[in-house]
Amino acid sequence: MADAVVVAQGLRKRYGNFEAVKGIDFSIELGECFGLLGPNGAGKSTTIRMICCLTEVTGGSLAVMGQQAFPGNLTIKRQLGVVSQDDNLDPSLTVRENAEIHGRFYGLPFRESRQRADELLEFMQLESRVDSQVRSLSGGMRRRLVIARALMGRPRLLILDEPTTGLDPQARMMVWAKIRELRTQGVTVLLTTHYMDEAERLADHLLVMDQGLILERGTPAELIQRVVGEDCLEIRELTDGAMDAICAQLADYSAYLERQVDSLLIYGEEMEAIIESLYGKGLLPRGYYRRRASLEDVFLKLTGKELRD
Amino acid sequence: MSAFTQAIPRWSQGTVMVFRRDFLAWVKYYKSSVILNFGEPLTNLLALGFGLGTYVATMAGVPFIDFIGPGLLAVTAMNAVTFDMAFEGYDRLNENGIYQSMITAPLTVGQIVAGEYIWEGLRSLLYGVVFVVVLAALGLVKSWWALLLPLPLVVTGVLFAAPALWVACRAKNHEQLFYYFTLVITPMYLFSGVFFPITHLPPLVRDAIAITPLFHAVNIMRAMVLGHFYRGLWWDALWMLGYVAILGFLPVRSLARRLAD
Repeated sequence: MADAVVVAQGLRKRYGNFEAVKGIDFSIELGECFGLLGPNGAGKSTTIRMICCLTEVTGGSLAVMGQQAFPGNLTIKRQLGVVSQDDNLDPSLTVRENAEIHGRFYGLPFRESRQRADELLEFMQLESRVDSQVRSLSGGMRRRLVIARALMGRPRLLILDEPTTGLDPQARMMVWAKIRELRTQGVTVLLTTHYMDEAERLADHLLVMDQGLILERGTPAELIQRVVGEDCLEIRELTDGAMDAICAQLADYSAYLERQVDSLLIYGEEMEAIIESLYGKGLLPRGYYRRRASLEDVFLKLTGKELRD
Repeated sequence: MSAFTQAIPRWSQGTVMVFRRDFLAWVKYYKSSVILNFGEPLTNLLALGFGLGTYVATMAGVPFIDFIGPGLLAVTAMNAVTFDMAFEGYDRLNENGIYQSMITAPLTVGQIVAGEYIWEGLRSLLYGVVFVVVLAALGLVKSWWALLLPLPLVVTGVLFAAPALWVACRAKNHEQLFYYFTLVITPMYLFSGVFFPITHLPPLVRDAIAITPLFHAVNIMRAMVLGHFYRGLWWDALWMLGYVAILGFLPVRSLARRLAD
């Protein structure tokens, strides 16, 4: 715990009659990338807003860099860099001015802020656009600028709230590479995302939340192993009748079955035996494939299939 | 170094940087904004002063245009600040997320509000001074005391920035901002002694007008432009400073609440 950057104990947040976070415990260790997962309304953003000292903690305790978090705790804020969900860039300012003025908010002197802005814009590959108006940037460039801006204060903890939502695959890869590079420089990262591949690639530890509570925690590999096992058999384009027949056939096997509209996902240890049994009964159509279970499977099992919001 | 001596420069840097942000943004569009903020009072001055002034020769013992010139100066300051703070403040909060990004940095809500006040004080000064130059060019400035006009201009700017920012924090859409302009700003513009002295109005109406901030700004600026001083001006100054002290804190809580949602 000595190296913990964030420690939450029985952390709660209430808005009027609605409790968004219902008493959660977790800690984020120095230098790790900590992923916070959960469907919309899980309480992720509220948790992040409390860590960022933007909204009041209404119950339990939350220590960030050894200090209690509360709105206006500038000692904590000075050590954070925040990439919020929205690209809240300043449309009246140029790319460089956006970064430079943010550095000044962190107390950097003019020269240093200017120099750091140029370094970070180069780091985020925006050096050719320093004098552009923010309006003219593509979605990927805007996101990169938001990240560059968040780094202006040399944060010890970088908070990324859905950093790659809405980006094309190339832009996402680039952002991931930059996040990994920052980690090698010793920056601790707190990440929320709806993309399970992103969480699997970047996060050392994960917390899966839903409806203000923690459902599971662990490394990505541990979670996959513990929640769904390693093996997955996916059968697509099934009729309801065929799906029922397969489920009936597998009743005796220790397998976890997940129905997704017209697809059936089968998780279990004895996959060879399952395939053989289905094949023997002629229940295995052509459209099936066997794969390693992923974090996506974990997420769907833990949080269910219903659409949120 | 003690925490106290460290805290002062940090506090002021945050505030000054919020001001600097506004200034950087303004530099990019000032040409169009000067004409807008300036065209209206100038049109008023020319149309009413020279047009209506032909029929209404004097007002309170001075030529009509001499009377309304300094009144419109106070209006220029009020409008330059009110429209900017209400619309820009609303957009910074609801459209661009500028206050939201500021508050993730080590700034307090009080620093953000104070930074806005510094900018609006300067803005009132800039637009006001240009208007004074026009008045002088038309021969309407009668006293060297006009050189002290920057003082009431800055105070007027801060005074009107506070309620406008409060309205911006409370408004749910742009239309609601117009309630403020239509129900508060326009009546003040028409009745606060800009166009006619309030001495002949019924006592109750006079008292109602005497508590509006614009009335006091008009009195002070008119005295400085015309060189007519009287003891009651101290009250005007006191009223204005009192308004700044009270209204100044008004938006801090509203903005804090909006940013904590």
